[in-house]
Amino acid sequence: MEFTREIYWNVGHGFTTLAPMYGLLLVAVAVCALGFFKRLKVYRLGQPLDRTDGRGERVKHMLETMLLQTKVFRVPGPGTAHALFFWSFFVLFIGTALIVAQADFTDLLFDIKFLKGTFYKLFSLTLDLAGLVAILMLTGLLVRRYLIRPQGLVTKGDDALMHGFLFAILITGFLIEGARMAITEMHIPQLAAWSPVGWGVATLLAGLDEAGLRTLHVVLWWCHLLLALGFIAVLPFTKFRHIVTTSANAFFADRGPTGKLTTVNLEDENTEKFGANELGDLRWKDIFDADACTLCKRCQDRCPAYATGKPLSPMQVVNQIGEIAFTRPDANLIETVGREAIWACTTCRACQDICPASIEHVGKIIEMRRNLVLMEGEFPGEEVMAAMEQTEVNGNPLGMGYAARGDWAESLGIKPLAEDPEVDLLYFVGCYASFDKRNIAVATSFVRLCQAAGVKVGILGKEEKCCGEPMRKMGNEYLYQTLAMETVEVIKGYGVKKIVTTCPHCFNTLAKDYRDFDFDVEVVPHALFLEQLVADSRLPVGGEEFTCTYHDSCYLGRHNGIYDAPRKLIRSMGGRIAEMAKNRDQAFCCSAGGGRILAEEKLGERINVKRVEMAVATGAGQLLANCPFCLTMFEDGVKGANVEEQLRPRDIAEVLAERLALKNA
Amino acid sequence: MNILICIKQVPDMESKFKINGEGTWYDRADLAWRMNEYDEYAVEQAVRLKEQVKDADLTVLCIGPDQVTEAIKKALAMGCDRGVHITDPYSAKREPIAIATMIAGFAKGKNFDVIFTGMQSQDRGSAQVGVMVAELLGIPAVTTIVGFAYDNGTIQVKRELEGGSKALVTATTPVVLTCQLGLNTPRYPTLPNIMKAKKKELLPLAPDVGGLGPRQETTACAFPEKKGGGLVLEGEIPELADKLIQLLKEKTTVLA
Repeated sequence: MEFTREIYWNVGHGFTTLAPMYGLLLVAVAVCALGFFKRLKVYRLGQPLDRTDGRGERVKHMLETMLLQTKVFRVPGPGTAHALFFWSFFVLFIGTALIVAQADFTDLLFDIKFLKGTFYKLFSLTLDLAGLVAILMLTGLLVRRYLIRPQGLVTKGDDALMHGFLFAILITGFLIEGARMAITEMHIPQLAAWSPVGWGVATLLAGLDEAGLRTLHVVLWWCHLLLALGFIAVLPFTKFRHIVTTSANAFFADRGPTGKLTTVNLEDENTEKFGANELGDLRWKDIFDADACTLCKRCQDRCPAYATGKPLSPMQVVNQIGEIAFTRPDANLIETVGREAIWACTTCRACQDICPASIEHVGKIIEMRRNLVLMEGEFPGEEVMAAMEQTEVNGNPLGMGYAARGDWAESLGIKPLAEDPEVDLLYFVGCYASFDKRNIAVATSFVRLCQAAGVKVGILGKEEKCCGEPMRKMGNEYLYQTLAMETVEVIKGYGVKKIVTTCPHCFNTLAKDYRDFDFDVEVVPHALFLEQLVADSRLPVGGEEFTCTYHDSCYLGRHNGIYDAPRKLIRSMGGRIAEMAKNRDQAFCCSAGGGRILAEEKLGERINVKRVEMAVATGAGQLLANCPFCLTMFEDGVKGANVEEQLRPRDIAEVLAERLALKNA
Repeated sequence: MNILICIKQVPDMESKFKINGEGTWYDRADLAWRMNEYDEYAVEQAVRLKEQVKDADLTVLCIGPDQVTEAIKKALAMGCDRGVHITDPYSAKREPIAIATMIAGFAKGKNFDVIFTGMQSQDRGSAQVGVMVAELLGIPAVTTIVGFAYDNGTIQVKRELEGGSKALVTATTPVVLTCQLGLNTPRYPTLPNIMKAKKKELLPLAPDVGGLGPRQETTACAFPEKKGGGLVLEGEIPELADKLIQLLKEKTTVLA
């Protein structure tokens, strides 16, 4: 016998079925297209931005994130359920497409049937299982949303509608199959076995007579069709739109360098407005982002500001922009989002890193900060304004006399390039390691390590100024660009070939942001540089084993993906790392990024105390850091958490220098 | 309303100060420069007054070498309308009356309704220039103001007096006001205003002290001598008392 089934069984072949079916399909597609076309007009309210370069790469990235669900999968549980649901629904879609292809094209026009024999058996089994998995996953997600109700999950009418639609489509599908099988396949177990779920449903329906089954079948068939077409029609009007917009956003995603901000053209004398306080100041992608958001709250779950009771949720910011775009385009962006939310961001990038929808949260916040600073002269506090002024006068936000910048190095026998430009590398010290006593210890350790490895280091001394990172992240693009241009000129003037930093903020700025000022000198963070020295056996380290925990700074970690090298370095010097629960790409910020190092933390709990408590929970006595801002925050945090006796924050360079001494002893 | 703001450029107080070769003042090398803090309050108050009355013209005046134009530009970016630079490389050596004479020479006949300036400079700190300008112009001066209100030609200011008490003074224009810490928080210039400031008028003038001869001279300048630091006693109270008595006996004569 031939293993197959009659398509349009009981529904009727030919014009009476096909005409209303395709007529309704046309209507559904038209409604869908019109809905998206209307939204397209709203996206166009934003400024132009080219996101169609490197199309091959973009398409590849889109297919990967969409078909393989790579980003969705990063959060086990709901992510797994979504991925499995997506795949099963996708399989059902392909299955339906194959049926359409055979029934309405190949068979209708050329008498070719391919849904038969072994292929049909596999086809039937696959679709049956896919339907089952889809129902199970949808049930799981329903239980999560409506019974478990995770904290912060926003549930709206949309969600009920979506669950309803999907359940109805899947269940009617199985009922149709069951009703058909009850009549056509129950007596052929070797065929029915390939549709196990349908067989089960057919068994349940066995009590009905054939006439009843046939009525049930034809009614449900049309219901199923209407539901499927309804699904297409409502796409743009519900969160279902994410099927289109989130996939498209993967195509339009920022291609890096990771965390590099757009450089404002300050030379253009026709520009009278900087930053964003109205919808039209943002770029179209910023509006599109809102439409790609699925309210999955992963960003919010990872936001250090949100976690400590500050009025910032990256998810909310994105959706406030969407709300303005679609309902009241003349609204003031900054008033809507709120100044306290805008200033609370530490630019730690946890939101953007985890976002499965390729949304760029940080850039939006920076644009609003730029408006506040450049157009209104506003800062989160007077202390920040004072730091800006100090930086204008002395080139550092600490307000220390600029001429003393290189004083820390005098006793170490290293000279400014102005006195001796023949060096292996330029150590770009940064403001904290130049002036802050705690961080001078780190700079000193780093220089001693270089000297031990026979590397000749030079500094800029009083010619060095702040790289401008905290100012830029606080929105002061003008001061940043002034500092950047001066720094680029000074460094280029000495023909420097290689720069090492002990501050990841300096590193990220010199290595990425300065590219816009034709700066292409190799920049290496000290974590990598020291790891290489040890790997090359140029630094003999030793001593007893020790236990520590390690904090991934946001600017080495999420901004630059440097997770393994520092760990390798710590292990090579005898360290055993007791990881904190939030580590690597999930690391919790120290609170000082985004220029917050300059600001007092006035709202909610202290972020640094929270992070220190996470470190204490590992039981390790030392908290190793790779960033002067982190170190400063942790020194403060151990006092705030009252754990000065239990936990000692240190930079990796300090520990390495100590191990070097132990080896030599 | 016609308003004059007199400002000075001074070294940042966190700078590494050294005595100059003649031993009469600080060396200018390795110093970072900024607008005198008290003059920033003066500029801010003038700009606020203009924002209040709308119809006002703010002239900012600074005396010194070419580099002081940076301070003038900052004041223009904060909202002053025009700048006057009395180009004088020797301004640091001039005594207060000479500076005041130059300012009064410029202001005379220009009918300034209000002249704002800082109550003193952060480097020289003589606190004399403002009042001398008023005297030379024959108009009243109110010093060390920490509060300012203008209403229909009448000015009400709050003065800071010794011992934390305040005085309320009512004045009419023309008047010289010298500004003290606490008067206001100077604004941070916006970028469009920084851009506009680059195009504002900046008039260079030659120094003119009108035949005024020197009346005083700095003979020497030195850092304060390092004295012994304070001593902080720690411990329980009875213990502390014993230590204190011991110290008083050993180092002083009060218990003798």
